[in-house]
Amino acid sequence: MTAGVWRPFGFFLLMLGFGLRLDSEWQGVAGALLVGGAVAAGAGLWALRREAPGGAFVPPVRRR
Amino acid sequence: MSPACRPGTAAAASLVVAATVWLALRGLARVPAAGAAPDRGAPLVGPRVRAWYRGVLAPLEDALVGARVPPDALTWAQLAVSVLAGAAFWAGWLFVGGWLTIVAGTLDILDGGVARRTGAASMRGALVDSLVDRYAEFVTFVGVGAFFRDSWLLLAVAVACFASFMVSYTRARAEGLGVDLQLGSAQRPERYLILGCGAWLSDLAVHLTCGMVGHVVFAAAVLSLAALAAWTALERARHAARVLGRSGP
Repeated sequence: MTAGVWRPFGFFLLMLGFGLRLDSEWQGVAGALLVGGAVAAGAGLWALRREAPGGAFVPPVRRR
Repeated sequence: MSPACRPGTAAAASLVVAATVWLALRGLARVPAAGAAPDRGAPLVGPRVRAWYRGVLAPLEDALVGARVPPDALTWAQLAVSVLAGAAFWAGWLFVGGWLTIVAGTLDILDGGVARRTGAASMRGALVDSLVDRYAEFVTFVGVGAFFRDSWLLLAVAVACFASFMVSYTRARAEGLGVDLQLGSAQRPERYLILGCGAWLSDLAVHLTCGMVGHVVFAAAVLSLAALAAWTALERARHAARVLGRSGP
């Protein structure tokens, strides 16, 4: 998977984790999602430096 | 509904969202603005934002096309995520429900894009997509209705649900009569955004203030959605009637 996929995936996991931590009693699941989300989003942001120096959430130039 | 007041977690979530919004605005600034000024029937989310979001989703779309994920699978995934969103709203997990609603809207965008890229776009696919969209909207509204079950806002949820369906029905009926109908301020992406963002913002506000403000943001979002969707349905009906009136009996 590319950085452009890891970033939104990580962000989504983070949001799920925050949501469960805020409103549910599933604190263990929330913690796991937060860690997983942080790792995925971090990996995406790190890889961004190589793949697209423009910045996160900047649409890439389409090939088609 | 919430097991505890969690201002720390809410503040951390706000920081992550704020950083993401900042990065997103930087990205948006690099997308060229559309030339024409928006007209009266233009959707709230303009072409520039739509183009930006499609661009952001491009790597995801590439990955889905590369993995040969059938567009139908994305359509059904949208329904599954909407069911989860409805269940989250029902349970009072507004933050989760709000983000799942936005994910469902994103899947709705992706299925069409993947279908076009893989050459799988078909009339059958368009029919299934439209039908699944309605079920997806309905299950989300059922959850929101359950959240407001002890409040007069349940009526606003019912109006929002009915008006959202009328927006789509009016377009389908008009197009069946040969009138192209794309105008309207609260189309599906706008409805997903208003409901989704309203929900998670509301939950953040409640946790940051330890319940001092109730779910006023979510209530305002539902009321706005009801009003905007009703207006959009009316706008479309008026436009279709005018065009059909001009074209004779």
